[in-house]
Amino acid sequence: MKIGICAKVTADTDARLSPSADGGSFEFSGKSVVGPYDMFAVEEAVQTKEKHGGDTVVFTVGAESDVLSQLRGSVLALGVDKAVIVEDPALANADALGVARALAKAIEAEGVDLVFCGKQAIDDDNVQVPAMIAGLLGWAQVSRVTAFAVDGTSFTATRAMDGGIKQVVSGNLPVLITAERGLNTPRYAKLPAIMKAKKKPTERRDLAALGLSAEAVAPKVSTSAYGSPPERPSGKIIEGDTDTVVAELVRLLREEAKVL
Amino acid sequence: MTTGDLFNPTEEHRMLRDLITEFTQQEVEPQASTHDASGTMNVELMRKVGELGLLGITIPTEAGGAGMDSVGAVIVHHELSKSDPGFCLAYLAHSMLFVNNFYHCSSEQQRARYLPRVLSGEWIAGMGMTEPGAGTDVLGMSTTAVRSGDHYVLNGTKTYITNACEGHCFLVYAKVEGRVSAFIVDRDCPGFTTSQHIEKLGMRGSTMAELIFDDCRVPVANLLGEEGQGITHMMRNLELERLTLAAMSVGIADRCVDIMIRHAQERRAFGEPLVNFGQIQRYLADGYAMTEAAKSLVYHVAHHCGPDARNRIGTDAAKLFAAPVGKTVADYAMQVMGGSGYCREYPVERLWRDAKLLEIGGGTIEAHQKNLSKDLTRSRPLA
Ligand SMILES: Cc1cc2nc3c(=O)[nH]c(=O)nc-3n(C[C@H](O)[C@H](O)[C@H](O)COP(=O)(O)OP(=O)(O)OC[C@H]3O[C@@H](n4cnc5c(N)ncnc54)[C@H](O)[C@@H]3O)c2cc1C
Repeated sequence: MKIGICAKVTADTDARLSPSADGGSFEFSGKSVVGPYDMFAVEEAVQTKEKHGGDTVVFTVGAESDVLSQLRGSVLALGVDKAVIVEDPALANADALGVARALAKAIEAEGVDLVFCGKQAIDDDNVQVPAMIAGLLGWAQVSRVTAFAVDGTSFTATRAMDGGIKQVVSGNLPVLITAERGLNTPRYAKLPAIMKAKKKPTERRDLAALGLSAEAVAPKVSTSAYGSPPERPSGKIIEGDTDTVVAELVRLLREEAKVL
Repeated sequence: MTTGDLFNPTEEHRMLRDLITEFTQQEVEPQASTHDASGTMNVELMRKVGELGLLGITIPTEAGGAGMDSVGAVIVHHELSKSDPGFCLAYLAHSMLFVNNFYHCSSEQQRARYLPRVLSGEWIAGMGMTEPGAGTDVLGMSTTAVRSGDHYVLNGTKTYITNACEGHCFLVYAKVEGRVSAFIVDRDCPGFTTSQHIEKLGMRGSTMAELIFDDCRVPVANLLGEEGQGITHMMRNLELERLTLAAMSVGIADRCVDIMIRHAQERRAFGEPLVNFGQIQRYLADGYAMTEAAKSLVYHVAHHCGPDARNRIGTDAAKLFAAPVGKTVADYAMQVMGGSGYCREYPVERLWRDAKLLEIGGGTIEAHQKNLSKDLTRSRPLA
């Protein structure tokens, strides 16, 4: 079995995102990481490989110089065998569909049977790419998965539904799974594996190598601006004795905040 | 490939730092105050550290280690000490004082017996040099070893030995016919016992006790190297010990700088955040500058220190400079926090207690001054 993972190198959870001065892009301060939901995908791929054998390969779209080190430390050092980085100037402003087209082609080229993605990236919260990849490949997709098992060529997956209800679905490979928190507990990289991560193969592909033209990934939507949320109004301090304070608080919660 | 970054000279160093940072936040920080309060070492956590491959960080990969250099060792001590210097001291005693030292003076048979156990953390280890009658004056030690057939018989007491309470084996220095020699003593060697846990001010996430040798019979196979080679082993290892202790001080200082910068913005007095007061600014600015200076020195020395690059002057200087920085910056952070800094609820008072040890253990401030002066005059003799 050949198992793929799509992973995005993004801002760390505690990094602060802010629109750039011209509002045309967004910036973040702090370090970049492989997205936390993608890390559940990585762990599931490695566990699936440990149980059933096979090869694992991680796919990402981005500049090699920005992503390689994170892929080595957080993905290859955890046991994934190989990285495929799709890098092309035409992808710099790609929208979700462009990214999905590039990834779908790369996945196809590797002959993968099963793909794990995080349920979403944590920077743009766009939640589109995995479904589009599945659509482009003509595969089934199971989203927000909290438990997963493969048996031969069939799989079973448990999905998280609203209200804590669990839905169990099954079907045949190939399939694309998106990982929800709780699917597993991602392991730490072991230091000897970190030291060896550099020796694992990493391949860079441009669009031509994937048989795609720049037009094929040209954005169908483009961002016109990023704006900051309005400043949070400062808190209100209510003064007086306990009775007055409580009465005033209840009044404000009822009349201003409208939560009571 | 080097990155030109003093603190993360290669990609591997950066990945190591990311790993330790995450592990420290997730696993080390949450247990630190509990173990400080109970004065116990977290053996289970040490085994987790073993699973990550960190217990043999400086040991070549062929021998089951991670094959990292002194900078790697410094990174681990620096990052762990941001959360739990006490646990880090136990880690240091295990992986620097025992594992690193042992590796460089052991035979293949000895490595085969001990390395797998100490690299996984199945066995906890320590090193016994200090005695009740000989600390700074280490060569004045009085523990003796006398050859008797296929054993050595050890007599004497080592004190203040980190990991003595939990340890399964120890690297012990004793004199054979007046010459310092190194031995491995297992917990179950006949005639070997450890004392009660010795209570201490800080570094309470590690324990210490005495190692007591009363006609203790140690197999001849447990002599490390040859009789009389102990001083060479000891001196080589003391360099890495000093450097990693200095890195612990940098970790404490770094964390304290973080804490006081945040607190000085959050806490208000007289209608303003504390950071608006000049006296508070001095703690922040001086504390930061000292920390950065100590960090740069420690990492710089780490680039020039290893099993084949002896650096006594550099490592003495690094610890001499960095140890008081940890203590001073912890004190600044406590001052900026006021009463809350003195309370158990926050980590500063623990870091403040922990920091003092670095002016004593692994060589007192005075010992570094004495050694440095000796080495410096020796390296620049008058014509
Ligand atoms: C928490 C902790 C953990 C430790 N862990 C270990 C361990 O794992 N293994 C181990 O072997 N040891 C360990 N030690 C011992 C430590 O290394 C010694 O405490 C240290 O070397 C100082 O020795 P001492 O305590 O005997 O002090 P002393 O040598 O008695 O020194 C007392 C004072 O006199 C000063 N002094 C001594 N000689 C001179 C001189 N010639 N000139 C000027 N001043 C001088 C010292 O600087 C110091 O200020 C540990 C100690 C502590 C507190």
